[in-house]
Order: sequence, then C-alpha cells, then structure tokens
Amino acid sequence: MVLVANAVGLNVYRADNYQRPVAGLVLVAVMIGWTAFTVWAYADPARRTRVVLGLDLAVALALLLASPLVKGAGFSATVPGFWVMGALLAWAVHWRWRGGLVAALVLAVSDLAIREDVSQTNYGNAYLLVIGGVVIGGLAESLQRMAEQRDTAEREAAAAAERARLARAVHDGVLQVLALVQRRGSELGGDAAELGRLAGEQETVLRGLIHAQDAVPADGVAGTVDVAAELARLERPGVVVAGPGVPVELAGQAGRELVAAVRACLDNVERHAPGARSWVLLEAVGDRIEVSVRDDGPGIPEGRLSEAADQGRLGVSESIRGRVADLGGTATLTTGPEGTEWEISVPREGR
Amino acid sequence: MTEPPIRVMVVDDHPMWRDAVERDLQAAGFDVVGVAANGSEAVARFPAARPQVLVLDLQIPAPNGVEVTAEVLRHDPSARVLILSASGEQADVLEAVKAGATGYLVKSASREELLDAVRRVAAGDTVFTPGLAGLVLGEYRRLSEPAAADPANPELTERETEVLKMVAKGLSYRQIADRLVLSHRTVQNHVQNTLRKLQMHNRVELTRYAIEQGLDDADA
Repeated sequence: MVLVANAVGLNVYRADNYQRPVAGLVLVAVMIGWTAFTVWAYADPARRTRVVLGLDLAVALALLLASPLVKGAGFSATVPGFWVMGALLAWAVHWRWRGGLVAALVLAVSDLAIREDVSQTNYGNAYLLVIGGVVIGGLAESLQRMAEQRDTAEREAAAAAERARLARAVHDGVLQVLALVQRRGSELGGDAAELGRLAGEQETVLRGLIHAQDAVPADGVAGTVDVAAELARLERPGVVVAGPGVPVELAGQAGRELVAAVRACLDNVERHAPGARSWVLLEAVGDRIEVSVRDDGPGIPEGRLSEAADQGRLGVSESIRGRVADLGGTATLTTGPEGTEWEISVPREGR
Repeated sequence: MTEPPIRVMVVDDHPMWRDAVERDLQAAGFDVVGVAANGSEAVARFPAARPQVLVLDLQIPAPNGVEVTAEVLRHDPSARVLILSASGEQADVLEAVKAGATGYLVKSASREELLDAVRRVAAGDTVFTPGLAGLVLGEYRRLSEPAAADPANPELTERETEVLKMVAKGLSYRQIADRLVLSHRTVQNHVQNTLRKLQMHNRVELTRYAIEQGLDDADA
C-alpha cells in the first residue's frame, strides 16, 4: 500500500517524463488495481497459491518492461519503481530465501536490461534487491521454524496436562475402590480383614504418589528438590505427612539430606516403637524450613541416649543431629511417655 | 434418643460408596434425606431436602465439590459441609474449606470416624485432619510472606498458630487441651477461628474481584 502510494506519487510528479501519458496512466491504474487484489488475495493463506504469486511477479515484471515503451528509452526511473518489492517480498515469505533470490534476480536483471546505460545507483538498487530478497526469505524461514517450535511446545504442554488430568481421574476411581475394600474388609473380619488391610496399604501408597506427582511441574527449577513432594512419598500406613500443599524447594544436596534425616527418624520409630503412629509436618516459615516428626510411642527411656554415647556408639539421634548440623540447621529431640518428637529447622538458601 | 435425628445428604458419583455411606448413616440412626450423584443434582435437590449436613465427595461431575459447597451455603448458611475425599487433592481441599466446608475426612477413615465426624460437624464443630491443618497453616504462611503482604490478609494469633500446628502434628483436641492447659472448648474455638478467618477473607476477595470485574452491576 505504502509502496503503491509512493509509486503513484512519483509518477504524478514526473508526469512530464512520459512520452505517452495515457499509456502511463493505464499502467498506474493496473498497479493500483493489482495491489488491491493482492492485499485481498494474501489475507487468507488458502488464496496464497502459486498462480497468484506467479502472476504477482509477472505483473511487476510486465510493468517494469513496459517502462521504456511509455517513458521513452532514456528514462531514469521505471514506472513501478520500488513497487516491485511487493512481489519480491511475497516470494521471499512464501518460498523462503530461494524464492526471494529467484524473484530478486528476475527483477534485477530485467530492470538492468531495459536501461540504456546502467548507472552506479541503478546497479546499487538491483544489488540491494537481490540481497534483500535473500535476507527476507531467510528471516521468514527462521520465523516459521520458531513458530513451529512454539506450536510443538504448546502441544506437548497440553498433552502433559491432559495426561495428568486423566491420571487423576483414573487414580481417583482406584482410590475409591481401595478405600471401600479396606472399609468393608475390616468390618467383615477374617480373611476379608486381611484383604482390607492390604487395600489400605496400597491406597496410602497411591495417595502419596499422587501428591508427589502433583508437585512435579515445579520440578523445572534446576538442581533443587521439592521437599514437600519427597516427604509425601514417605506416607504409609501409620505415617501421616502434612505440608503446605505447594512445592517447598531446597537446593539439591540439602534437600536430599533433609529428606534422609526425616526418613531416619521414621525408621527409628519403626525399630524402637513398633505399632506407633507417626506424623510428619513440613512448614516453610520465612527463610527457614521446619519439619517435625512426632510419634505416639512410649518415648525413649531416660539415660538411654547418654548410655549409648558412653559406650562409644554413635546413636541414630547423633547421626540425625549431625546431618542437620551439616546443613546449618538444628535438630531438637523431646521425648516423654506421650511419645517422641524431632523438630528440625534448616535455612532456606537463595532466598 | 429424644432428639430428632440429624438430616444428612450424601453426594458421591461412585454408587458403591454412596450406598455404603448411606447404609452406615441410616444404621447409626441418621436421617438420610437425599442423595446425589453429581454437582447439579446436589444443588437441585438441596433446597427441598434441607439437610443439616452435606457429606460431599470433591471429585464429582460438574459443578465440582468446591462450587457445590459455595452454592449450598449461599442458599442455607446454617447447613454444614463435610468433605469426604478419596485422593485428598490438596488444592481442592483448601478451596472447599475456604468456600465454607467445616469438615474434611479421607475416605480411608473408618465408619466410626465418619459417624463421629458427621455428628461433630452437625453440632457446629470443625473436623480437621492433620493434612488439612498443614494446608491451612501453609496458606496463612503464604499470606504473611512479604511478597503477598496486604494489611487486609488474615493473620493467626500466636495461640491459634500453636494449636493449629499441634493439630497438624496429629494431636487430638483433648491432648492439645492438656498440653496447653486449656479447656477442650477453647481449643475447638481456636481451630474454628482459623477457618472462619480464611472463609471471611475468601468472601472479601471474591467480592473485591467481582467489583473489579464489574460483575456487581448484574446484581444491583
């Protein structure tokens, strides 16, 4: 559009150059008409056919070649002037750098061929035309490649989200049945109770997995561990894990150490207080991460820990403390007849 | 029993579950005034059934449990919603609680736990699991972070935080009362307050959102 306005303006300005003004007027009218047609034709991808593109270049070429006829042999500017760029751009966008090169060469050669004497400016313009055609073709190509990559990424993200949704729907059904079997089984007693117990175990494991999986998208942060998801995996019959419901990121090594310390606490409960229930609570408080592991076992008998230390044995409690201390955190143990509780607090780095 | 039985409605898309829960409730002397298999049935049948307690599965065909909770409580604020969820989808549970549910149980809970939960919810108590307490604590922590700081955000008192933490660590209200030398009723009130503040905040946020979006004009 801008190009056609420019060409029309220039032609009006130079009207006195025309040897045959009527023919010149016809050519300008053709130019305007064709521009209107191409604007319409290129608006819809379905209409961007080879025929239209070929015609576009042919019209530009025809106008170019008609210049000497209407303007006389010694003209300085062709009738369409820069307008030929329209066809060139269309070719470059459609057929990439090859199309750009071909269209540019055709136009440049004919432009130079119809002139009586080729000035340096004429040559420069033709040269720019060729370079421009190739560059724009190349740009169009990389743009399209980027668009394709983006589309692929979007499709993958949508597929992943759909998979997660389906998984949730399937899991929910399975969980319903497991919970029901567990419930009815324990009421019926006997062998059914055993089945119920097994169903209950699987239900807890699956629920833990789902919670861990829910947190997966945040896994993208390089080199960090989502402590919330990792702790959710520790849930099993007799162990309840409570957390904030959002990922709690901790640098890789520190995150793994913290989870290992919690696992050691739980293993300790299992060893020394079989049958006791445990509760794990994870909290992100400002710049610290706090984990509590509590059980309702009989507690650690007084003197038991110092006795172990006196015998030169490095008890589990010392190994837990050491682990947490390495992370720059603290681990405190409280024990009594109502049970034992570990309170672990570690700094949250990079915040 | 001289008191009239508690009226309960059961919403679950899983027929086996719905029947099991209904049977258990009836056997224990509750009056099951309605059942529904999806959200739209639940919302449509609620006004006529007028249950005191809605036992609601979160994962039901649309509208989902969160929307049903909000809708029935808008219709009858005195009703109580007890969420019974299989998977314990954490975000959904938190949303349902913010929408006004006052109880939450996972489906693996025993029959006695369920019956007890319905009774307590009907009496106006809140039924927390350690998991729910953890989620609510996390929500308050997030609201108080510098990034989200807003003077309008609800805050817990020190005592409320202490109590909620103990619930999340699996202590019963009785144990908490003993440890803090408080009455059982006081502990219960503290726990209730933590939910009430969140629900109030949620309503304010929704209203504010509606005004920002110009949706309030429709009602005016």
